[in-house]
Amino acid sequence: MQRTAIIGFGCAGFHAVKSLRAHGYSGEIHVYSNTGEPPANPMLTTYYVAGKLPYDGMFPFGTLESLQDEYDLVLHQNSPVTALDSHTRQIVLEDGSTACFDHIVLATGASALVPPIPGADHPGVFCMRTVRDAEALQKRLESGVRSAVVIGASMVGIKLVELLHRRGIQVTLADMAPHIFPTAALPEVAAEIERRLDGLGINLRFSQPIQAIEQTDHGLDVCLGGGTRLPCDIALMCIGTRANTQLADSGIQLGRGIVVDQHMQTSAPGIYAAGDCCEGYNLLSGQTQIIGLWDNAARQGETAGANIAGAVSTSYPGNITHNITHFMDMDFIGLGDIRIQGQRRIFDLPNGRGRVDLVTSGNRLVCVNILDNYRISGVLKRYLLKTLTEENARLGPAGRGRLEREGVPAALIDYLEGLN
Amino acid sequence: MAIIIDLDIEKCSACGACAVACMDQNDIDTQRCEAPFRVVFDLEQTDSQGHCKYTYMATACMHCTDAPCITACPCGCLSKDASTGLTVFDNTSCIGCHSCAMACPFGAPSFSAEGKMQKCDGCATRIHCGLEPACVRNCPTGALRCVEDTDYKEEHIERSLKRLASLIQP
Repeated sequence: MQRTAIIGFGCAGFHAVKSLRAHGYSGEIHVYSNTGEPPANPMLTTYYVAGKLPYDGMFPFGTLESLQDEYDLVLHQNSPVTALDSHTRQIVLEDGSTACFDHIVLATGASALVPPIPGADHPGVFCMRTVRDAEALQKRLESGVRSAVVIGASMVGIKLVELLHRRGIQVTLADMAPHIFPTAALPEVAAEIERRLDGLGINLRFSQPIQAIEQTDHGLDVCLGGGTRLPCDIALMCIGTRANTQLADSGIQLGRGIVVDQHMQTSAPGIYAAGDCCEGYNLLSGQTQIIGLWDNAARQGETAGANIAGAVSTSYPGNITHNITHFMDMDFIGLGDIRIQGQRRIFDLPNGRGRVDLVTSGNRLVCVNILDNYRISGVLKRYLLKTLTEENARLGPAGRGRLEREGVPAALIDYLEGLN
Repeated sequence: MAIIIDLDIEKCSACGACAVACMDQNDIDTQRCEAPFRVVFDLEQTDSQGHCKYTYMATACMHCTDAPCITACPCGCLSKDASTGLTVFDNTSCIGCHSCAMACPFGAPSFSAEGKMQKCDGCATRIHCGLEPACVRNCPTGALRCVEDTDYKEEHIERSLKRLASLIQP
C-alpha cells in the first residue's frame, strides 16, 4: 500500500489531505504535527485576542477527531520531525524512530521572526503567530496593561495596534522601514494611513532600527537607534516570518523557502512542499518567491495532494502577492509588486469612497493599492492576473459594470483597459 | 445535480425587479446601507465606429465550480451546498476581514451593517423546497432562469451547432 507523510498540519497540510482523498488516493496518510491541535489559522490569533472569535474559531477546519474520521488519517500529534533523508524519503522523529514513505509533503509553515537583539526573550515581549502566542498575550492583557510598543508595521502589527487601542492602551507602532506596510503599500498611500492613525492617537516611529529591549523599574524600554527609548508595559514583535525549512537537506533546492515547480514538486523526487515554507512562482516576476498567504497555501496544498494521487495535469501556475487588511474603519488592499518602478497614477473615488493608486511599467500593470473600497478589490485583482496571462485582457461587461457601480471614474477604467 | 442561475442579456432590461425581490427575500436592510446581492446595471459603450452600445445586466454570485471565496475565507464560512452546488455560507465565525471580497472576480460578497459577510446563496432553501430563486421568480422578461447544469450544457451544444450551421450554410 502507498504511504504518504504530511509534515505540518496547517492550511497547506489540510488541503493536501483533502485533495488526496478527493482524487481517490486510497493509501495511508500519516500526518505529523508538532502540536496537539487541529489546523489553525495564524491570522485569526489577533481576532481571538480581540474577543471577536472564540477559541475554537481559530481552527477553521474542525476538530482533529472529525478530520481523522473524514479523511482516514494516521495522526502523529506532538511529534516533530527532526530530520529527513530526501533520497530514501525516510523521516526521523524526536525519539529516534524512523519511517519511510512513497511521498512526502513538507507543509511546515513559517515561524515568527524575532530579531537577535538583547532583551528579545524578556517575558514582557510577545509574538503573534501561534495559538500559544495568542493565549499568552490574552492572559497578559487580562492582568492589566497601560502601554505597549508594537514592533513591525505589518498586517499583524496593525491588527495588534487596533485591538490594544480599543482596550484603551497607549500604543506606539515602530518599524525600521520609513512607512507602514513596507512590502505592500506605496509611500503616498502609507502616508495617508499614517495621517489617520496619528489622528486616532497612535504614536508612530518609523525609520529607526530596534536595538534592544531593556527592563526598567516601570516595565520595559524599547530602545531605538538614535537614542530614543520607548517605555512600555509590553512589547510585541511582528516584523515578519521565516519559512520553516530545517528539514530540507542538500537534496532539496532551497532559496528563502523550499523551491517548488508548478506541481509543488521539490527538486527531490517524491517530495512536495506547499504553503508558507515554500517558494512557488510569482506571476509578475516570473521567479520563485514565498507568497505567504492563506489562500495560496490552500491552492498549493491542493495541487500537491492531487499530483500525489495521480490526477492528470494538475498544476498551479503561481500567484501574485496580494493583501487585504481591514482595521480601524479602513481597508487597505495591496496587489502586485511595489518594488517594480514605473509610472504612478492616482484616482480618487467620488463621495469619499476611497482611492486607487496604480503603477504601470512598460504598458503593464504591476501594482495596485486601494484604500477604503474592498468592493472593487476582487475585480481589480482578477484583472491584474488576467493581464499576466492573456493578451489584450479586458475587464468585460460584468467587471466594468461593477466598477462603474462603485463610482470608479471612467478615466480609471479606460486607463486600465488601454494598457494592453 | 448542480444548479445554474442563467441570465440572457438579450432579454434583460435592467429594470431592477430582481434586486427588489432579492432585498425582500433576504431581508436586506437598505436603511442601514445594506445592498441587495443582485446588482443591476446598464453600460453605455462607444465602439470604434462611434456607435453607442448599451448592455443591460443583473449579476450576483456566479456560484463558481472552484469558488475562490471558499479557499480564501480564513474562517471556513463558505462552502458548497452538496445537493445544488450553490456557494452557501454560515457567517457565525465571520471576522469581517473582506478576504472573500478580494478573492471574488465579480465583487459578489457584501457585508451586513454588523460587518458580517453575506452573499447570494442562490436561494438554496427555496430550491430545496422546490421553488425558484426569488430573482428568477420575479424577472418579468424571463431573462433570469434557473437550470440544471446538464440541461444547460446540452442547450449550449445545440445552440453552437445551430450557429455553426447558419455560418456554413450556402
